[in-house]
Amino acid sequence: MLIPTVPETKPIKLSVRDMAFSYGQKKILDGLSMDIHAERVTAIIGPSGCGKSTFLKCFNRIHEVSTDVKVSGDMQIDGVDIYRGGIDVVDLRRRVGMVFQKPNPFPKSIYENVAFGPRLFGVQDRTTLDGIVEDALRKAALWEEVKDRLKESATGMSGGQQQRLCIARALAVNPEVLLMDEPCSALDPIATAKIEDLIGELKESLTIVIVTHNMQQAARVSDYTAFFWLGKLVEMDLTERIFTTPRVQMTEDYITGRFG
Amino acid sequence: MPDAPEASIPAASQRGGYSAEARMDSPSAEAGVPAFRHSRLQRLADRWARLGFLACSLLVVGLIGGILFFLATRGLAAFLPLAGNTGRVLSFSEVFLSADWAPSSDRFGILPFIAGSLGVTGLALLIAAPAGVLTGVFIAKMAPAWMRNLMRQVMDLLVGIPSVVYGIFGLTVVLPLVSRTWLEDAPASGFAVSALILAVMIVPTIVSLSTDAFESLPSSLDEGAQALGSSRWQAIWRVLIPAARPRLLTATVLGLGRAIGEAMAVQMVIGNNPQWIALMRESTDRAPFLRALFTPAATLTTELVQELPNTAAGSTWNNVLFAMGLLLYLLTMVLILATRRLGRGREA
Amino acid sequence: MNAAVPVFRRSRTSKAVDRLMRGVLWAIALLFVAVLILFVGAILKQGWPVLNLGFLTKMPETLDAGGGIKPQIFNSIYLVMLSLAISLPVGLGAGIYMAAYAGQGRALRFLRLCIETLAATPSIVLALFGMIVFVQAMGWSFSIRSGALTLALLNIPIITRVTEVSLLAVPQELREASYGLGATKLQTIFKVALPYAATGILTGLVLTAGRAFGESAILVFTAGTNASAQFPDFRLTVPGETLSVHLWYVTSDGTLPDAREIAAGTAAVMILVLLALNLLVRLVDRTIRRRTR
Repeated sequence: MLIPTVPETKPIKLSVRDMAFSYGQKKILDGLSMDIHAERVTAIIGPSGCGKSTFLKCFNRIHEVSTDVKVSGDMQIDGVDIYRGGIDVVDLRRRVGMVFQKPNPFPKSIYENVAFGPRLFGVQDRTTLDGIVEDALRKAALWEEVKDRLKESATGMSGGQQQRLCIARALAVNPEVLLMDEPCSALDPIATAKIEDLIGELKESLTIVIVTHNMQQAARVSDYTAFFWLGKLVEMDLTERIFTTPRVQMTEDYITGRFG
Repeated sequence: MPDAPEASIPAASQRGGYSAEARMDSPSAEAGVPAFRHSRLQRLADRWARLGFLACSLLVVGLIGGILFFLATRGLAAFLPLAGNTGRVLSFSEVFLSADWAPSSDRFGILPFIAGSLGVTGLALLIAAPAGVLTGVFIAKMAPAWMRNLMRQVMDLLVGIPSVVYGIFGLTVVLPLVSRTWLEDAPASGFAVSALILAVMIVPTIVSLSTDAFESLPSSLDEGAQALGSSRWQAIWRVLIPAARPRLLTATVLGLGRAIGEAMAVQMVIGNNPQWIALMRESTDRAPFLRALFTPAATLTTELVQELPNTAAGSTWNNVLFAMGLLLYLLTMVLILATRRLGRGREA
Repeated sequence: MNAAVPVFRRSRTSKAVDRLMRGVLWAIALLFVAVLILFVGAILKQGWPVLNLGFLTKMPETLDAGGGIKPQIFNSIYLVMLSLAISLPVGLGAGIYMAAYAGQGRALRFLRLCIETLAATPSIVLALFGMIVFVQAMGWSFSIRSGALTLALLNIPIITRVTEVSLLAVPQELREASYGLGATKLQTIFKVALPYAATGILTGLVLTAGRAFGESAILVFTAGTNASAQFPDFRLTVPGETLSVHLWYVTSDGTLPDAREIAAGTAAVMILVLLALNLLVRLVDRTIRRRTR
């Protein structure tokens, strides 16, 4: 395992040490260690089935919703173990937002989708809600497109708009980290470009971890890139170095399309 | 904890100062953004809700046991000298193995009712099982979309019709019709008409479960069979029906359960004659076949409806009636467990 | 070509059998359609001459002809509402537990077994239970409250099952989205899952109401075969004969000179109500589906 040796001014937001993940008898992830810096975009690439999405979901423990799994090792946010007993999972998920592979707006209006999160935490005042909704939609670069039809159903929007709405929805609860699980895999190139621009803007204030199967995308949007293979971290480095002078042969083979 | 490669990260040195346990709980408030924290109430509700939902579930479990317990206290009083029992204590054999039902003469053989229940249910299944399974396969694999929708609606309506309305239909339409056409105006009550009505009542259950069974078969089965050149019917008969068999049996067993427990509709058309075995054996005015189908009879459920209101609580007669109810309940449990068995056979 | 392989051609009999069986299947299906039409037609035709405003709004007679069914209509609606009010919280709670809390293990399988058993328990058996517990042990005799509580036992497994199935149909992505925003489990259930499942649950509820409306065996032994002489009588302690019980009772009792007509009219009213409920289910289903699309 190789870890970048570059001067980094931003603090470490998420750190992973010797983490393993098993589902039943099957080990999906093994021996992972890495640091993820605040206000940087970290991309995770690798062939499908390498465990990159699973890894992402471990950061906000969302995998626990559907499956019975075991995570061992150490995963920390701001130095606090997120699997420690007594941790408030619900608060963790509020701090670590997530955007999913397929846009998954609730079958409610655009406004209600964004206001859903704040309402969960008891925000009821209309003007406060309006402010949060507008702010989140602006951050997600969607405000101008939807400001006149906030009451319309979110399911009637285009795929790209839906995905930006999901980003706005996640931003509305003021997360510190945003996990993105192949957010563009269901979108066309134009919508993809919009999301990528958005990622560049969002990293000003957020820690972003993005899983992608698209290497050009990783090269375009990320500061760091980690290459996963068969549940292990092969190499992690500055993105430009990974794509120009990888230190591991397997990384080079993957990036140049010789396998995967 | 930090080992060699970690130490080489410049930022790692900052970690000590940056990570504060307290941060985990402090709201990361920016200016103007409210601190998003769940209220105490919300957290408590989340914690205790589980117990509330669990209580509802346990109530259902408790009901199963409760029904068994209360029916047993009354039903077993027929055989055991329980407290508050004013009736005579009977032996199992004089109740379950005797066909002599004459409560006023202190004789309580319930075999006629057991036989009646089995007879009418068996006859109903004989009609409903094949018709239901075939309709199921028709809906799932053959009917055009409009017919499928129509059939679903027809079955929904048939299952929704109350048993007393089935009963009144049998009483005022079917019985006179059968009597006029085939029996030279002799009464038509008995197994045949009861079973016919029951068959219509349970067919929706069998249809909907067997439609599900056929729809859940992998389409490769059907395609494979037809790719080999089998006709539509051959594919159904030789491949689909055998493949769906465990679930078709389950459907039939559940239909059986519904039929054996039905009370009101049958009570209105069967004739309510506890002495039906003797009558069927002795009367000579008709062919045996017609006698078997059209002799007024009685079942476990019809006898309960007929006589329970006329007996005093705690009397021998009353106890025996509750024993019949207990028998019905135990039968339900056995049937449900049987469907589990069949289901397990499916997985294997 | 391999000489040993015979030429496979569909035999004429297999073609004929195929055609015959297709015909048989169509015939069976159409037979059921015919049975339903005949059935509903006959009930409505018999009841039609009796159905008029007087029949619906008069009190019943005990010995003379010309009685109405006003209190029975009231009792039917009242008992259905009461029994739903009792069974809805329990059924919803149990359904939520099974879908969201019970996991996949033994506990869930056992709960399912219990629900299925309760659903398959004959209503005459539930009637005996209600008679022992509410009518006799609690000393409530034949009354609305005995009837409503026993009738609730009939509803609970249906509502539970419908709730569980509807909740399981909620897409996993929506639940994940909700959790991803920091929603608690309870919030996810009430704000995302239940609204999404509402159509299914509502439909199930109407069907449950229909079943309770048509139930007679339970009520004969718990709510009794008499209707209060007052109208409307909201007391829970008086007997409450419903339409279905009335239909059965006048037919089997036979003291009324016009029992036949009363029964025919009552049956027609019940069929009309059930047809209306059926239509309601379809409407609810369609409007909600259109709204969420």
